[in-house]
Amino acid sequence: MVKKELFVTGLFVGIPLLIAGCDTATNNEATNTTDSETGSGTISLVANGEAFAREEFATKNDWTINLDHVYVTLDQVKAYQSDPAFDPDQDQEITAEQEVTLLNEAKTVDLAKGNKPIKVSETQAPAGEYNALAWQIVSPEQGKTDSAMVLEGTAQKDGESIDFVLNLDQPLSYQCGEYVGDVRKGILEADGETELETTFHLDHIFGDGEAEPDDDINQNAVGFEPMAELAMNNRLEADLNTLEQELSSQEYERLMGAIKGLGHVGEGHCLETEI
Amino acid sequence: MRCLWFLPVAIVFLPAVPVFAHSTVIEHRQTNAIEIRAMYDNGEPMTEAQVTVYAPDNPSDPWLKGITTEDGRFAFVPNPDMEGEWDVKVRKAGHGDFISVPVEGSQQAAQSGKNWQGGGYTTLQKILMAALGVWGFIGTALFFARNRFHQT
Repeated sequence: MVKKELFVTGLFVGIPLLIAGCDTATNNEATNTTDSETGSGTISLVANGEAFAREEFATKNDWTINLDHVYVTLDQVKAYQSDPAFDPDQDQEITAEQEVTLLNEAKTVDLAKGNKPIKVSETQAPAGEYNALAWQIVSPEQGKTDSAMVLEGTAQKDGESIDFVLNLDQPLSYQCGEYVGDVRKGILEADGETELETTFHLDHIFGDGEAEPDDDINQNAVGFEPMAELAMNNRLEADLNTLEQELSSQEYERLMGAIKGLGHVGEGHCLETEI
Repeated sequence: MRCLWFLPVAIVFLPAVPVFAHSTVIEHRQTNAIEIRAMYDNGEPMTEAQVTVYAPDNPSDPWLKGITTEDGRFAFVPNPDMEGEWDVKVRKAGHGDFISVPVEGSQQAAQSGKNWQGGGYTTLQKILMAALGVWGFIGTALFFARNRFHQT
C-alpha cells in the first residue's frame, strides 16, 4: 500500500516539477502600479535659482556677478497628475486627473538666500504621480519690492565695479511638464513626501562665461555689458521701462525673451504666457 | 522507508545542478525594443546625453541608465511583463526632457522575447533530455512497485 502511494506521489509530484523546471522563471516581476495611489502625503514646493543665484559667476561678457538678492514673487502654484503627460512644446493646456493648489496667494522669496532651494509651501495631497506644474510670477502688492522679479547685486570687470538693481516687472504664467533633474520628483506615496520645484535659469539673462561664445545660452543671452553702459557713478538702477528706452531694440527683445524663458522645472522647459 | 518519497523529488532536481564548463554559448532572440531619438529644438542631436529609464512598477528608481549615441539615439528592451508607461529621461548640459512610452498587449511579444535561440542544444537534444527525465520517474516508480508485481 505504501509503495503504491510512493508510485503515485512520484508521478504526480515529479512530472509537474519537471515541466515547471523546463520553463524559465521570468514571470516574477508583475506590474504593481496602483498600490501607492491611495491615501495622501505631503508635497513641498521649493523655488530654485540654482548656483547663479547663490554663487559668483561669469557672464558671457566676462563680467563677474555676485547677486545679493533675487526676489521672485510666486502665486497660483498648482501641481497636476496630468494624463496625457503635458508637453510644453506641443500642448496649450494641462489635462489632469488630479489638481492640487500649492500656493494661492502672492509670496515673495529670495532665491539668493542660503545655499539650497527656498521652501515656499507644504501641502497635503492625494498620492500619485505629479508630473505637471503651473505657476505665476506676479507684481507683489506689498513687501520689499513691487516688481515680479528683482535682481540686486554687484558686477565687476577689469577693476570696475557696478552695484545694480534691476526691477524686471513682467508678470508671467508658466505651464510645465515633469521636473527633470538628477533625481525624480513628484512621485507621492501614501504617508510619504515629495518635492516639486520652480526653477529659474538666470544664465538665460546673463549668459554663461564657462560656455562657448557660440553656445545657444550665450547667443540668446543679453549679458551684462549693455546694462553696464547705462551705469552712472558705478551704480545702475533700472526697470523695464528704462531698459526699453536705453537698450537697443535688439538687446531689449533679447532681454525680454530671456526673462520669459527663466521659468523651468529643473531642466524641463515650460510654456510661458504673459499675464 | 519513511524517507523514500524524497527520492523522486531528488531525481527531479538533479538535472538542475549547474555544470561548470568553459565552452562559449551564443544565443539570439527577436525582441520588441524601444528606440528613442533625442534632439534639441533646433534639430541638433543630443550626443552622449544621459538616459534614465523608469519601469511602470517603480517610477521612482531607475530601471536602466545609459548614454545616447552620436546621433542622439538610445534603445532598450522593456520587460514585456510590465505593461504600462515606461518613462525615459534624457539630459545633457542643463537641457532635458521626459517621454512616456506605452507598453501594452505584450503577451505575444513576451512569449517570443523569452525564447533564446541558437544556444548549445538542438531540438533533438532537448526532446531526448525530456524523454530521459520522464523515463527516470517511470523507472523510479517501477522500482518501488516491483515487489507488488512479484507478489502477483
